[in-house]
Amino acid sequence: MADAADAWVIEPRREGVSARAFELWRYRRMLWFLAVRTVKDRYEGMTLGIFWLFARPLFPILIGGFVFGGLLGVPSDGVPFMLFYMTGIVPWTLFERSILWGTKCLTQHRSLMKRLYFPRLISPISSISPAAADFVIYMVLLVGLALFYLWKDGVWYLRIGPPLLVALLMSVLAVFAALSVILWTCVFQARHPETRFGLRYFMRFWMFLTPVFYPISIIPPEHRWLLYVNPMASVVSTFRWGVIGVGELPLVPLATSIVVAMVAMAAGIWFFTFSESSTIDRL
Amino acid sequence: MPKLVVDGLGKRYDLGRSPDETGPLQWMRRMGARVLKRGTNGDEPERPREFWALKDVSFTVEPGTVLGVIGTNGAGKTTLLKILARVIAPTEGHVAGSGRVVSLLELGSGFDPELSARDNIYLNAAMLGIARSDVSRRFDQILEFAEVDKFVDLPLKHYSSGMYLRLAFSVAINMEPSILLADEILAVGDQSFQERCLERVKQEAERGLTVLFVSHDMEAIVRICNHTLWLNQGGIAGFGESDGVVADYQNSVFAGGFTGSERGRHANRHAILRDVSVVTEDGREVRGVRTNEMAFLRMRFELLENHLCACAAYDVRARGQLIFRTADPAGMRLFRNGGMWEALMRLPARFFNEMTYNVIPSLTVAREGEDRRQYVLMGEPLSFIVYAPDATTPGKDKGVRSGYLTPQFRWKFERLDEQPADAAEGDAARA
Repeated sequence: MADAADAWVIEPRREGVSARAFELWRYRRMLWFLAVRTVKDRYEGMTLGIFWLFARPLFPILIGGFVFGGLLGVPSDGVPFMLFYMTGIVPWTLFERSILWGTKCLTQHRSLMKRLYFPRLISPISSISPAAADFVIYMVLLVGLALFYLWKDGVWYLRIGPPLLVALLMSVLAVFAALSVILWTCVFQARHPETRFGLRYFMRFWMFLTPVFYPISIIPPEHRWLLYVNPMASVVSTFRWGVIGVGELPLVPLATSIVVAMVAMAAGIWFFTFSESSTIDRL
Repeated sequence: MPKLVVDGLGKRYDLGRSPDETGPLQWMRRMGARVLKRGTNGDEPERPREFWALKDVSFTVEPGTVLGVIGTNGAGKTTLLKILARVIAPTEGHVAGSGRVVSLLELGSGFDPELSARDNIYLNAAMLGIARSDVSRRFDQILEFAEVDKFVDLPLKHYSSGMYLRLAFSVAINMEPSILLADEILAVGDQSFQERCLERVKQEAERGLTVLFVSHDMEAIVRICNHTLWLNQGGIAGFGESDGVVADYQNSVFAGGFTGSERGRHANRHAILRDVSVVTEDGREVRGVRTNEMAFLRMRFELLENHLCACAAYDVRARGQLIFRTADPAGMRLFRNGGMWEALMRLPARFFNEMTYNVIPSLTVAREGEDRRQYVLMGEPLSFIVYAPDATTPGKDKGVRSGYLTPQFRWKFERLDEQPADAAEGDAARA
């Protein structure tokens, strides 16, 4: 049973990229298990479990929609502000929540990691599952909201077709980008517990730099490139464009964002691999 | 057949002042402290920055070996197993092996208490990277060995710890591992399950399974393991046949057990316990005795006053167990004259088994009439090996299974339904 193909070597530095990717694939069920468990842990034992599932995202949206759309009268490119706001907050929350959940993955999976071997990359990847679950719920709410406006205004705002696919790709890109950040922050978090503290404020700040509750059209065209320095700006506006057909499809900034995310991911994987063993020793 | 080759393995842990202290946050904190003039950096005492949990560990294990790993706490046993299980990465050196490594490092580490046994078996397999179809094939085997077939759909949180252990072991052994890492775990279950585990481990060892078994139970180590690795402070202190390594280990533990203040207690103002040794009839000091020879334990002590009462005693241990304690049957004996004395205690032939015994001598001293104020002197522990008359090399225990001692007694046989005159008398001891 132990033929040459099974041979392995344990060394201070791990073997190459392809071997690791293959290993990740072999452990995919473990990934699924950890992901499900992270979501389950979150709502475990809550009396109003299913209620919170929907209430948590709904209340901030209602309040945000009321403040920005109702009181401040932020323009929304001709669609109901609630829908407009929702299509911005969905990809952004996916990004933000992924980072905030993922940052604590090493501490969260500490006991498992000290007892069991699995490719350590599984930990950050699986930890974005609560954010992904939230994303699904947001999408359900979004459809509900569209149905509400269909009943109220008689207009179906959502687009069905290839642009919707683009929007879904944008959510994948948001997760991808989040993961490239997590690979750094989870290592910092394991060493300095205040990382997540600071990150919270930073993310809030970053949200204001991203066209989440305001349309890109309020910025004069010659200054828009400034906004697009933020890679998330193009992701959010493309998502919105894909779902409700509002605003523009920023092709060049989007391409830049994809390249930035790729580079960030490569750097993240390098950093994570570089520091995983010493970080786990320290947990 | 492939083997497990461990070469120059080392694991360093950074302590306290580690790379963290050079990190930006620590730097900011230090700068902050400097600005506030709270303590300066130079005042902090140098602490050791690193600690080698393992250093230069090299050994080779042939397939089919059950290797015991022993050593005091902190010797690096668990670190070694964790490196082999890939839970932690080594700092230097490398390990080469092949096949599946399954670890039983901590009970139920791969189990989710909310899930049923069925789901947990699949989950565990997933954690080992084993395909679902492979598990399905062995599913019944696993349940049967674990004896939990009736509870297969019960969540694990309702399981007893014994059921947990049985399931964990059964899953591990049925995944067809090439290497099984067990940290003290086999010592947990009840007697019958332990027996079944060991039986199974032996079967699998014949198939080529290598087992690394960490335990503090020397009895179990000698019983199960054909080889033993003795780790001490991160390095290898002994490696070879279990009996020899375990004996060496125990000697070192007992010798080390009386350091410092206790070691000093071999003397006080009344008496000095000079030396203790095993001697033959003609007075030669020896370290080994044949089972069919008698020998003596000789204690030499010096009494510094006249009219002292003293009582010599020995604790005899083997494999960490106290076998017996024996003292001068006369109790506190009165010595009218001081000076050097010698006490000989006869060790009968055909009494000890073939193994290493550790002897801890003691001498209780009191002034005549002051029995309430007794002083106990402890001697240096010594060990001696008992071996078979035909053995060429002492220390190779073969009759270990028959117990710590093999005394021979007088037997008498009588046929009860006949006249007493026909009684047959046998004397096995003289046979």
